[in-house]
Amino acid sequence: MNLQVIGCSHHQSSVSVREKLAFTEDQVRAFLNKYHQAFPKSEAVLLSTCNRTEFYAAGKSADGVPSSQQMIEFLANHRGLKTGEISNNLFAHQDRAAIAHLFSVAASLDSMVVGEAQILSQVKQAYQIAVDTGQQIPLTHQVFQTAMKVAKRVANETDIHTTRVSVPSVAVNVLTKQIFERLEDKRILILGAGKMAEETLTYIVALNGKDIVVTNRTRSRAEGLAEKFNGQIADWNDLDNQLIDADLIVSTTGATQPVVTHEQFKLVAQKRQQKTLLILDLAIPRDFDSKIGDYESVYLYTLDDLQKECEENRKSRQSQWPKAQKIVEQETANFFQDVHRRNSGSTIALLKKQANEVKNSELERLLGRLDRLTPEQESEIEQSFHRLVNKLLHPPLKSINADQSSEAGGLLDAMKRLFQLGD
Amino acid sequence: MEWLQKISITCFAASYLVVFGIELSRVFFQLDLRRYVRIGVTAAGLFAHTVFLAYHTQLSFDSQGIWLGSWFGWCLSGAWVLAAVYLWLSLRKPQSMIGMFLLPVMLLLIWFGHGFSDTAPFSPGRAKSVWNMIHGSSLLLATVVVALGFVFGIMYLIQSRRLKQKRSGSFRLPSLEWLNIWAERTLFASTVLLFGGFASGIALKMVQQSSSNPNGSIPWSDPVIWTSAVLFLWLLAATIVNAFYKPARRGRKIAYVVTISFLFLLLELIIVWQVGHATDQQTRSSLSAVSKFPAFFHRSKDNDHGGVL
Repeated sequence: MNLQVIGCSHHQSSVSVREKLAFTEDQVRAFLNKYHQAFPKSEAVLLSTCNRTEFYAAGKSADGVPSSQQMIEFLANHRGLKTGEISNNLFAHQDRAAIAHLFSVAASLDSMVVGEAQILSQVKQAYQIAVDTGQQIPLTHQVFQTAMKVAKRVANETDIHTTRVSVPSVAVNVLTKQIFERLEDKRILILGAGKMAEETLTYIVALNGKDIVVTNRTRSRAEGLAEKFNGQIADWNDLDNQLIDADLIVSTTGATQPVVTHEQFKLVAQKRQQKTLLILDLAIPRDFDSKIGDYESVYLYTLDDLQKECEENRKSRQSQWPKAQKIVEQETANFFQDVHRRNSGSTIALLKKQANEVKNSELERLLGRLDRLTPEQESEIEQSFHRLVNKLLHPPLKSINADQSSEAGGLLDAMKRLFQLGD
Repeated sequence: MEWLQKISITCFAASYLVVFGIELSRVFFQLDLRRYVRIGVTAAGLFAHTVFLAYHTQLSFDSQGIWLGSWFGWCLSGAWVLAAVYLWLSLRKPQSMIGMFLLPVMLLLIWFGHGFSDTAPFSPGRAKSVWNMIHGSSLLLATVVVALGFVFGIMYLIQSRRLKQKRSGSFRLPSLEWLNIWAERTLFASTVLLFGGFASGIALKMVQQSSSNPNGSIPWSDPVIWTSAVLFLWLLAATIVNAFYKPARRGRKIAYVVTISFLFLLLELIIVWQVGHATDQQTRSSLSAVSKFPAFFHRSKDNDHGGVL
């Protein structure tokens, strides 16, 4: 199996870069369709969340899978960017490193807030979109199913998830408490009605936030969310008035352009009379123009700004880190052994089949030339041929089996080439 | 009750210093037990402080004077109120490092009071009058409240700056909303208390004049009187603007107002001290002679305003 991953995450890329590479669900589908046209022999999955965009490609043979450079170029072209604009901000992993990376991501060890639950569902969703494109993805199926198994194992065997803290939780529980003494009397405005908004609202309600207003371009989704949290619904066209009244804004829309521009906010700011406003812009691309944070009474926080707080969180869970990391390493090794065993099994079967075909044809030819053989003699010759083949195959098969633990698979490849075995 | 005599300024000042050290250590490492030690040491210091004040007040009563009506007693009483407020805040807001800002003000007051420990109290006849009691206690509380407002204002500015710069910092402070509310309350309370002190001072002056010189008038040219009036007007204006103009009580403005008020108050106290306000002629000359402060702190002996406020 050949697996490549390229991508960017909060570890090495700023929001501005991640914004350029962020995909909506429909955009992921379009991207994968285009990819399958360009590289029909390989499989692909695109994972796009607020903190990362990761592009996985897999294939049985190396020649069917694009190189990491080709993947970067493909990604850049698709987004209308120059390769140089993004290449320095992207990471690239191959095979074992790529697998280990995916396992870490799914187990939330690579998240901004280590141990957050949201990432696993995002990984599942990315895989599901790849399946929905209608392409056969047996290799990535195997990898992603194992990734989900690893995530569950880490959750069950470590305490890394015991106090589940996601980005919304850190935003609400740490930041909000530094600005507001209580939320009961605060107007809370939610822009967007997705999962992030829902999770954030859960924490706000836990802090006694009551005066909740939800607004979304698609009113029906806002209605569902508002109903769930006893909030009100505001018309999207009434956004400016809602901004005037709000004390805390949580923005999680999937808009590709800022929802609130600086010009727009100027008028809002005049009417707010310098009332303190906390804006949690949890959207990628950002929903609020960064200049809005320059107003004296406005505290504008983006996902990147929350990273420091998340680092604190990461430290507190440091004790569980080695245990979780060990599970990832074990599972990565197991995965490769498994793949290797499966590959060697099929190679051995092919080798035996090929040897038996040679043996049978030679046996047939010999028996045809020898007349008047008794059945006992024929049986003796057959057994002799059988033993010969087995004895010839025994050392290489033993070596292949011994090679399974090394995960390298070099011997298997050599065997395939030596005996000209197909896939 | 010999043990009462053994309690000295060092006892409670040392306790507060230890608490300040504990507060500072919170910047560097976490320790759950520290909270209890901090509260325990503060409570012990406050107890010693209370006993010290009570004992010396009793002694001054025995000698026909009011010890609290001296710079020494006045400063230590102010520090006592601040210590009590600190203990209350430590219990209410255990996570916040309020002590890091409040304790230095408190320790400064104790140090300032210690500098006057050998000076004579105000003359017994004046100190025991009702107007003088109202005058002194109102001004004492006003000073404490303005100092508290200053502490809240400074904390607000730091917290606001940290949040603006997206830095969580190594220590925790109360929320901006809490600091804003309390800064506002101290502004209002200090205005009321200063008005009480100012009005009672005028009343006191009028009572004195009616007995000695019925034709006399209030000496508005006295620097203590006019600076007190200016401070009061500043606080009154700030309170009125704050009450009727919403933007004034939002954001950093209220923090700036209480900080400026404190600086104003410091200036006022320096003037009061320099002119030897509310002390008798002979007391004043002895005061500068025995003050424990370095020479540059000594007030001029030429000043002889003898005002009331």
